[in-house]
Formats: sequence, C-alpha cells, structure tokens
Amino acid sequence: MAELACKNCRFINVDTNICRNCGSTDLTKEWYGYVVIVDPEKSEIAKRLEIKIPGKYALRVG
Amino acid sequence: MSRFFAVKTTANQERVVANLMDMAARKHNLKVYSILAPKELKGYIIVEAETPDDLLKAIRGLPHVKGVVKGEISFSEIEHFLTPKKAAEQIREGDKVEIVSGPFKGEMAIVKRVDEAKNEITVELLEAVVPIPVTVKADHVRVIDKKEEV
Repeated sequence: MAELACKNCRFINVDTNICRNCGSTDLTKEWYGYVVIVDPEKSEIAKRLEIKIPGKYALRVG
Repeated sequence: MSRFFAVKTTANQERVVANLMDMAARKHNLKVYSILAPKELKGYIIVEAETPDDLLKAIRGLPHVKGVVKGEISFSEIEHFLTPKKAAEQIREGDKVEIVSGPFKGEMAIVKRVDEAKNEITVELLEAVVPIPVTVKADHVRVIDKKEEV
C-alpha cells in the first residue's frame, strides 16, 4: 500500500497516481510529518496550514 | 475554542493511533478537530479537541495509546511543527551523523558537504578503510554530534 503525498496540496493519497484532492499528478513518497484534519472549520491547525478539506496531509513534502 | 493535548503512544505507531482516533471521532461525533504526528516527536501525538472529555472518549480502548500528558499545550508551542525546516538546514559540515535508512543503515559518518537546495548531504563513512564520499538524503540521517563552533 503506497502512500504518496501531493507536492501541490500535501494531501496523502493511497494507491493512486492522481491526487484525490486537487487532481495533480505530481506525487512523491518523500514526505514527513502527518496530520489528520477532522474538522477544518474549527481546527486552528487547519487554518494555519490553509486546509479546507478534511483528510490526511503531510507536514513537509520532498 | 479548541485546545491542544499530548497523547503518549507506542513509538512508530503515531500514525496508526492518529488514524484510529480519526475514525473514533467521526463515529461518536466527538469534538476532535485535528491530530498531529510530527516527525520530530517520537512516541507522542498532539490532539486538537474542544474539551479533555472529547479527547478521552476518542482514545478509549485504542491500541498503542499509553496515556495522556497532563495539562494543555499552547498553540505557540506546536506552531514550529507546522512549518518544518528542511532537514539539511539543521546539518553542518563536520557533524557526526548516523545513517538511519537505505543501504548504509546503522553506519556512522562525518558530513563533508551539505546541499540545502536538494536536501542532500555528502558524507564519509567512519568505518570504511578508504574514504568514499556517499550522498544521502538529509532525512535519512540522525545527527549524533554537532561540530563545535570555534
């Protein structure tokens, strides 16, 4: 099960070559740090990272 | 207003716990807003929740959870995890490092060159008879000894 992070939006995709969040094909397996956003509207972390869609994200890519 | 708490987990199971908490929070409709597992923080995750009660409900019965750290964390304390520096920026020439992944895993080495743009470092293995420069990703090493500043 390959977990690839999108270089564009940092969304973590499982077993796909196209980002399910933004549609980009620029994915990488070189990512570090992990954050799960459950409620982007109320989360301070999501606001700081400018994340608007719930899901799993990498903190740093590449 | 969300608050931040630290949860102690089994080392290397931080992401597993984060995923399980995410599922528990959705299932029971808890006021858990996000779960953070920074690379630098081994054995802990940071949970953003409305109240300690929501947090306790989210971790109830989960495997790999070892406990909750007493007290709260302020946002300023976790801010630096959100904008992580490149690993190469924290390594200087002359530092002693241990290679933690790849074919040279477990080897000690001295840093000879740092390429911040590529996030790569060139090292010489300490136990090699002939010094051969090896280029590895900066994230694949752990700094053991910082070179003393003169």
